[in-house]
Amino acid sequence: MIKQVRICGFGGQGIVLAGVILGHAGILDGKYAAQSSSYGAEARGSACKSEVVISDGWIDYPHVLKADILIAMSQPAYNKYCCDVVPEHGVIFHDEELVTPNPQIALSHFPVPATQRALQIFDNRLVANTVLLAAVVSVTGIVTPDSLKLALDKTLDGRHLEANKKAVDVGFQLGSIVKKH
Amino acid sequence: MGYRKIRGVTPPGQYFLQGDEACAEGAVAAGCRFFAGYPITPASEVMEHIVRRFKDCDGVFVQMEDEIGSIAAMIGASWAGAKPMTSTSGPGLSLMMENIGYAAMTETPLVIVDIQRAGPSTGQATRPGSGDMLQVKYGSHGDYEIIALSPWSVQEIYDMTIRAFNLAERFRVPVFVLSDEGVGHLRENVTVEQEVTVFERDKAPGQPPFHTDEPGGVPPMPCFGDGEKLLVTGSTHDPFGYRKTQVSEVHERLVSRLVGKIRNRADEIVDTDSYFLDDGPDVLLVAYGITARAALSAAKVLRDEGQKVGLLRLRTIWPFPERVVVESAQKCKEVVVPELNQGQICREIERLLDRDVISLPQTNGETMKPTKIIEFVRERAVTQP
Repeated sequence: MIKQVRICGFGGQGIVLAGVILGHAGILDGKYAAQSSSYGAEARGSACKSEVVISDGWIDYPHVLKADILIAMSQPAYNKYCCDVVPEHGVIFHDEELVTPNPQIALSHFPVPATQRALQIFDNRLVANTVLLAAVVSVTGIVTPDSLKLALDKTLDGRHLEANKKAVDVGFQLGSIVKKH
Repeated sequence: MGYRKIRGVTPPGQYFLQGDEACAEGAVAAGCRFFAGYPITPASEVMEHIVRRFKDCDGVFVQMEDEIGSIAAMIGASWAGAKPMTSTSGPGLSLMMENIGYAAMTETPLVIVDIQRAGPSTGQATRPGSGDMLQVKYGSHGDYEIIALSPWSVQEIYDMTIRAFNLAERFRVPVFVLSDEGVGHLRENVTVEQEVTVFERDKAPGQPPFHTDEPGGVPPMPCFGDGEKLLVTGSTHDPFGYRKTQVSEVHERLVSRLVGKIRNRADEIVDTDSYFLDDGPDVLLVAYGITARAALSAAKVLRDEGQKVGLLRLRTIWPFPERVVVESAQKCKEVVVPELNQGQICREIERLLDRDVISLPQTNGETMKPTKIIEFVRERAVTQP
């Protein structure tokens, strides 16, 4: 099985980092993972994207052609990539506060109040990416929750680790609420 | 001296690394302890990671004033017995050209990592290209040979960087890890083994450093600091390094050996990989680097549609895999070469095969998508059934 994930938003929201953590979690699950991102000025302020392909076997083409899962953290990024999702089974997760879905897109949309909770609980919007990513993992099961936490350990240094670990728990909780709806 | 197995410095296991980082890990594993470089996108992460790793293993890192200084420092380090590396991209490579010729002439082992971006000139700094395929071989003046390896994955850039050091030491020649932004900035699984095979330099005290009795042979290489009297010059020189710029036979013999030591041993160096060639495909795709992954993906889709399509992947670019290319293309109706330039390797294949070879070029700063190759082959099948 092969899954293609595209994460997009503004540079500075942790879009690239979320992709790195997700890919790392994939290999901790014993899978193949390929992660790439837009690079340069666009990763530092304007539209930014990070792509992750996770597969049980070797990945021929390592970039996303059509996303199975789109994770959007800004309106311009959503507008740009919402049509590049697999029509049959693709799903879109978006930051509830920052993205208003296009009603013409007939795909399942999962709004997650990631930035709102990050500000409310941590007084820090920087962990919104981790909250959203954890919610996605909780709903889709693309990687195991344990691998996601272990990937955080392996990717982040001490300064940011604790807040992000807590953010993962918040994301898992939000995910379980989203799943019920 | 010669090939031997050593315990690697990186704990064995599975890692999730960026291509540039894996390249640096491979260098450290192969015994690289000297790095001189100048930062440039998309190769800077190689030197950033080298700095992190050299802290643990007593390496010497110098950020030079530019790429000319970088390669000059590497040549000096190599003659002092180190295994040196630098990493750069097109604009930096252009600056290095004069001293690449000097390294070839003085038979100095070097590893130069070129993470190619879209050129010419400063071009698109953050985007992939394969525009340096010919420059690495022909960029400096005079007749000489180099070795260039082309990885398509993060695992392979790790493995090939180790091999690059071994080939550099074995043949006393500059070796290029000729990668691209697509692989350099990709993150993937990397398996690090406990043991690494490395080639240790044959110093042979007292022997002439620029001559062997074997025609086209590789002489032993002493180093400064071991008490030997050494002369190293880019001018024409005799077996002991004395300048002989007015003796035609000396120049003839020297240049023939510099070229022959690689050309005569091409079979030891050349490395390729093939997919679906057993049933004699109608269409042969020849690809390398990140583009070969799109080509493999495309070949699978086209075969599912019933088209006989095969792929030959060039893991070595120079010396060019001539025999394998000729053999693979023999029974194919068409040879198609997708690449991120305007047909650089396509032209080389055309020269070899003495028939029309179809170029599928792309110079838009993007990696080639499988769909581009699929649609191209489908269309040709319709128009030329």
